[in-house]
Amino acid sequence: MSTPSAKTATSGGKSTTKTTTTVVKTTTTTVTKKQPQQLSLTPRSVSSKTKRPKTRPNGKKAISSHTNRELNAGGLMRFSRGRMFQRRALHRINKWKGAQAKLQGDKTKKTAGSIQKKKQRKPASVKKPVGGERNGKQRTVLAKRFPRYYPTEERPKKFSAKRKTFGSHARRFRSTLAPGTVVILLAGKHAGKRAVVVKHLASGLLLITGPHKLNGVPLRRINQIYVIGTSTKLDLSTAKFDNLDDKYFKRVRPAKKNAEKDIFDSKKEV
Amino acid sequence: LYVKAVFTGFRRGKRNQHENTALLKLDGVNARRETNFYLGKRCAYVYKAKNKTLVPGQKRLNRVRILWGKVTRAHGKSGAVRAKFRRNLPPKALGRRIRVMLYPSRI
Repeated sequence: MSTPSAKTATSGGKSTTKTTTTVVKTTTTTVTKKQPQQLSLTPRSVSSKTKRPKTRPNGKKAISSHTNRELNAGGLMRFSRGRMFQRRALHRINKWKGAQAKLQGDKTKKTAGSIQKKKQRKPASVKKPVGGERNGKQRTVLAKRFPRYYPTEERPKKFSAKRKTFGSHARRFRSTLAPGTVVILLAGKHAGKRAVVVKHLASGLLLITGPHKLNGVPLRRINQIYVIGTSTKLDLSTAKFDNLDDKYFKRVRPAKKNAEKDIFDSKKEV
Repeated sequence: LYVKAVFTGFRRGKRNQHENTALLKLDGVNARRETNFYLGKRCAYVYKAKNKTLVPGQKRLNRVRILWGKVTRAHGKSGAVRAKFRRNLPPKALGRRIRVMLYPSRI
């Protein structure tokens, strides 16, 4: 007979419980794997409470000894690099993979993890025919010539293409500010008023509207940090706002005057 | 749209004080747990001066001036809070009202 202990019912966070067997004289204690108590202040507490699925999408079982954990969002990991190497047993896996590759007769591969096959090496020097009577008919010439020029200084490095410009950064939006949410404005001319979030713009700003007729808040862009999301949500799924994007709100400069015009004309306009 | 706070003093030990950090007592906040909401919020010390100056956003010259800062961390167990201002607060402000705005908001 086994009954789950009362202790596990109240434990918070992730816990894998094992059922206790109550013997007549003694009770064995449960072995529960509890995560260390996370402070409610840290944002990580939200994500740590969601359960990780036991099987990964590719059907393989998730092994907890293969994963490393961050301690209390401090950047410190639970296991060091060397320890993780041991836990993942990569040294054994790689050895096994190499043995497998050899069994399959692939002798060029040292491990199955080698990305490309070893290319057939071209001979380093080539024999080329040479004209002239007394030139020995052939010359051994290097197949790949050495560079003609070695620069004395390194070329000035340009920014690598991997560096993302600000325009291409991913914009994140708070989950409480989904389109259709009623929102309280905290700053600016309309501080204190409630408005509706119409859309998330590509620049990271929110597009909001009073609506204008109700409270005088126009169609306006506003940053997420100047806004509190309320729990009231409207359904905007039927409405379309395709033409409203950052370009729509771009400042329109007055058109430049033609240079071909007469000087006297332009003076009059001034 | 702000929370009322009082500037209670500078960060200090018994005999030394450090004027770069101000201590604020927020209205209605009495426990360290409750200060979490206010971390990072902007604070303003609003005062008036004799000469009129331009205020951003307004066309008319104004006597009102502001020293801006932000709440940096909690201070102690009872809901007090530390704030750093762009320029240190003048000691004249001791005991005076400081406005803790509700932005940058995280909710």
